[in-house]
Amino acid sequence: MRAVDHLTVSVEDGEQVALLGPSGSGKTTLLRAVLGAVAVSGRLRVGGHDPRDRRVRRATGFVRQGDDLVLGLSARLNALTGTAAGWRARDWAAACAGRVPAPHAERLAELAEALGVADCLPARAADLSGGQRKRISLIRALLPRPSLLLADEPTNGLDPVTAGTAMEALRSAGATLIVSTHDLALARHFSRVIALRGGRLVHDGSYIDDRTAAAIYGGGVPRMTPGAT
Amino acid sequence: MTPDELSWRAQAPRPAPRARPRGRWAAALVAAAALGWAVTGAGVRPGALIEGRSGGLRLLRAFAHPDLTPGFLHLVGGAVAETVQISLTGLLFAVLLAVPAAVPLAGNVGVPSLVRSAARMYAAVLRGVPDLMWALLFVATIGPGPAAGALAIGVHGGGLLAKLGAEQLEAVDPAPVEAIRLTGAGRFTTAALAIVPQAAAGLTSLLLYQWECNIRTSTVLGFVGAGGVGQELAISLKLFRYAELSTLVIAVLLLMLAVDVLSRAARRWAGAAA
Repeated sequence: MRAVDHLTVSVEDGEQVALLGPSGSGKTTLLRAVLGAVAVSGRLRVGGHDPRDRRVRRATGFVRQGDDLVLGLSARLNALTGTAAGWRARDWAAACAGRVPAPHAERLAELAEALGVADCLPARAADLSGGQRKRISLIRALLPRPSLLLADEPTNGLDPVTAGTAMEALRSAGATLIVSTHDLALARHFSRVIALRGGRLVHDGSYIDDRTAAAIYGGGVPRMTPGAT
Repeated sequence: MTPDELSWRAQAPRPAPRARPRGRWAAALVAAAALGWAVTGAGVRPGALIEGRSGGLRLLRAFAHPDLTPGFLHLVGGAVAETVQISLTGLLFAVLLAVPAAVPLAGNVGVPSLVRSAARMYAAVLRGVPDLMWALLFVATIGPGPAAGALAIGVHGGGLLAKLGAEQLEAVDPAPVEAIRLTGAGRFTTAALAIVPQAAAGLTSLLLYQWECNIRTSTVLGFVGAGGVGQELAISLKLFRYAELSTLVIAVLLLMLAVDVLSRAARRWAGAAA
């Protein structure tokens, strides 16, 4: 079964793109293809490299749609695992002792403060709420300062205020950003929207009017509010 | 390109309905035939139990009068302590032998298939040879005593733990494993931060179960000279000293109960800590 078919898309360095489409349209598969996590029968390059290249992966941050923390570990260690690919012996020693490896201490504190989870860091991930876990996942993706950020429905399960903070953290990271969403209101904040339906590209541009939205969602979707772009 | 033109585009693909497995009745018949063959071949007859009840009752009557003399109780205490020592030493050896194979055996660690095959073969050899055979081998090599029992339990248990430990590692939630792997983390980092922590409670439970098995096994291995309470059981049985046998069986039962209570408490603690 092909989840995404006949797709030709190019995203420039530093661009911020919303990947829009109804459930099952292939958004997650496309993001996973960019991560090198699913087989692709065409040509897919990230910065000219194979997406499975370890250097590419180290430069890529990913926020998954569902829960993906190690529940038995502390929130702090879960957040730090985003940087673990580059750990040296002293970083392992610090992490095992429950401390934050020096190069990441300041940024971890900043991100945790900004996302409102500074108090949660010592707690076990299992003891956190869904929204708190989501924010720890965000920190894990942002901590290594990636040059490419992929986020699959990053605001799912977050209240509107926290969702806004999370989006702001993603957008201000200075990375090429691709955010998958089925939320038209969220997509309109992006200068470029790529829309999928049934695994095929149905829109690639900066503007989504009501008719385009209807085409994407097959008519059974919330209509755009007047004046929305 | 207008949205109307776009609306003809492909529908989301529908997953094919899952096919029902064929030949289920034939498989059930084969399973029933195999079970019938096994029960008949094993010679299990309820009538045999009734016919030979007098021998069993004589033994049970003898068991009602255990030997509780202080000298013998002291000897039993020493044998029970030795059994615990054998079981724990065997567990330590088993873990040392299992870890190098369990991690590569787990499919989600992603080691090359050649290394995985070698690990599978290593674990199969260790657990494929029965612990009684290992005990005979070690008794012949280093002489009778608890060391032979501990080594036999350790080697056989190493193979078992490698296989069962790998299954525990493979059963973890794949999402956190993938999340860490996609950051460019290597196999060691992924295993250390995503796989092992998730499997910690299951692995602890497995170790405790293996310890219980070690206690039971060491009782049997004593019959071939591998030390512990089993060796005392074998001596009393050979000399038809049923009172001593009764005391030893009671001691083994109490030991198993104590181990059960201890391991349940440890499992609760591990579940809370993991």
